[in-house]
Amino acid sequence: TMAAAALPQKRYYRQRAHSNPMADHTLDYPLRPEDGWSLETVASLRPCFQVNLDNLGLGEGEFLITVLEVSPIKFSSSPRLQLDVLFSEAVMLTIQTTTHESRKGHYFNTACLIGQAKTCGPLKEFTPTQLSKMFFLFPDPHFKKTKHKWRIISSMLLAEYAYVLRLGGLVYTITDVDEVHDWMVKHFTEHPLFERVSLEELKSDIILDRLGTCTEEGKKVLRNGGKNFTAVFRRVEDR
Amino acid sequence: SMAALRFSRDWLVISSGSKFLAHSCGDKSDNQKPFVYDCSTAVKEPAPEEKGNDGHVNSKGSDRILAFTFSPSGKYFALIDDSKRLVLFRTEPSWECLSVRCLVRRCTSLAITHAEGQILAADKSGDVYSFSILEAEKAGELRLGHLSMLLDVALSPDDKYVLTADRDEKIRVSSLRSPYDIESFCLGHREFVSTILVLPNHPNLLLSGSGDGTLRLWEYKSGREVLCCELTAFLEPESAGSEKKCTVTRITHCTQGDYIAVLCSSLPVVHILQLDSQSLQLTHKQKILLEHRGWDISYAEPSSLWVLQEDKKEAALLYRLSGGQWQCIARPNGEKILRTSVHKRFLCSLFAESVGLESPYDSLYKVTFDNMGDYLRNKEVRLQQRKRKGEQPLASRETKKHCKNSQSSVQC
Repeated sequence: TMAAAALPQKRYYRQRAHSNPMADHTLDYPLRPEDGWSLETVASLRPCFQVNLDNLGLGEGEFLITVLEVSPIKFSSSPRLQLDVLFSEAVMLTIQTTTHESRKGHYFNTACLIGQAKTCGPLKEFTPTQLSKMFFLFPDPHFKKTKHKWRIISSMLLAEYAYVLRLGGLVYTITDVDEVHDWMVKHFTEHPLFERVSLEELKSDIILDRLGTCTEEGKKVLRNGGKNFTAVFRRVEDR
Repeated sequence: SMAALRFSRDWLVISSGSKFLAHSCGDKSDNQKPFVYDCSTAVKEPAPEEKGNDGHVNSKGSDRILAFTFSPSGKYFALIDDSKRLVLFRTEPSWECLSVRCLVRRCTSLAITHAEGQILAADKSGDVYSFSILEAEKAGELRLGHLSMLLDVALSPDDKYVLTADRDEKIRVSSLRSPYDIESFCLGHREFVSTILVLPNHPNLLLSGSGDGTLRLWEYKSGREVLCCELTAFLEPESAGSEKKCTVTRITHCTQGDYIAVLCSSLPVVHILQLDSQSLQLTHKQKILLEHRGWDISYAEPSSLWVLQEDKKEAALLYRLSGGQWQCIARPNGEKILRTSVHKRFLCSLFAESVGLESPYDSLYKVTFDNMGDYLRNKEVRLQQRKRKGEQPLASRETKKHCKNSQSSVQC
């Protein structure tokens, strides 16, 4: 076929596992959801001004590609809004390449966005209740107690996630650090706007199984004989 | 932390350094003595042990007053100082300190609910704590949090919503009863949001001032921006080119006539605007040029505007509305505080503590540095090198070296 455009190889691109959440990064982000995303911000074919079908929230590079291949998501975006920003130039290029070339159908209207929870949060990119799914994949553990407030999951930040997630929307978390897993479960369970969903209930969920096997971090953990901890939470109305 | 002033129905409070002076200005003013309080004499509460894993000990602050506020009726008065203390006062029948409580972090702003049940304190790490007024010794409760430094907190007149303004351009509107439930965000500012004010005449409208030099009006429940007023547009052309940024540091509202006064730091100017509540338009009415940098402004009923400026001798100025213009009253008759020489001397020493201080807002501007340019340039060089080598595939060792080089050259 026309697979002439080789997929970009990640090793040629700068990568950062995590970055300082408190620094003022040079990021191009919309000032409010109505402003839409500029083409420079979003490495996609078309700018998305109103995202309203099934959306993906916080994601990770390779995982996004997998999700697009396995599930018929009509419109997705992977805004990298987390504290720990993986530099995703390679992913952006993958999407660009593949959008142009062979796998056109899969990557239609996919976009990558780098953001920062401090300045943007998810809220400058999305209108309230716009998202149906959010993924927190191998977040920076921030082991030190004084750095705990930098964790992407905290009782205070959950309010912002609840704000952009529609009722019934799901949050997926995965980590290989059991302490962080307990931390995330604790905070989501204690939050009045979220409830935990048992993994049995999600047996038919095509994404759930792939969290551990299709993310780069997940693969690395499995390769090294580690264990991944998964949890899913649902956005509910105030109890 | 510069000098500040605020009115209640019966009192005028002027603060500077670690002291404040409460001067009665109501009907009963003749038989009320001024009240002076010095935070450096306040009880030093043992600060809660706050050592992290890394053994970091929080630095002890000075006793400077960082913010203060009256309760809506004027019955209570609360202040926060640089030593992370919240001090609560009763103003009736006479001034009395009710409690000194510890804060987790240094706070930037205070608000008291209209029901006068709780004090909300917004801090530098982005959290809002509530403190009970009736149980004056009770510790604070964490209510909500931003990930960025908070600069102001306000309440809707019905106490239904708490509004918080942060250093990263956002204003958040949350339910006071369940603050994890966000009602809306007011987004659009391009720099830190330094001050917010819910208009008492128009309980659904919010005014906000920012380091971006704009004043914005919002319907805060929906987060809709009603209008944006570029204050730099009203400056003289000769000062427009100056390096100094126009930072809105205080907004005050005069119920009579819907006048709005806006203080910009670094530029010695107070803008007076008027709100047309029918058309929701702001009209620029007047520009008061000060001789020195402005510290604070406040309207006092009925229709007088007080201005504090950075000057030891003539720090407090009084403006009255006359013939459609706000004019400085050189020899105010009724205003004892500016007339009596005893007061004048005291105020001089008070203000001396704030003269020459740097504006706390200057450090809040975003400082970004971009190493993307370097990175892309380096990459271009790399690609060119590879091209010159022709079709020859790169040895794996060399590739690794390239990666390493590019990484080390783009470290922040």
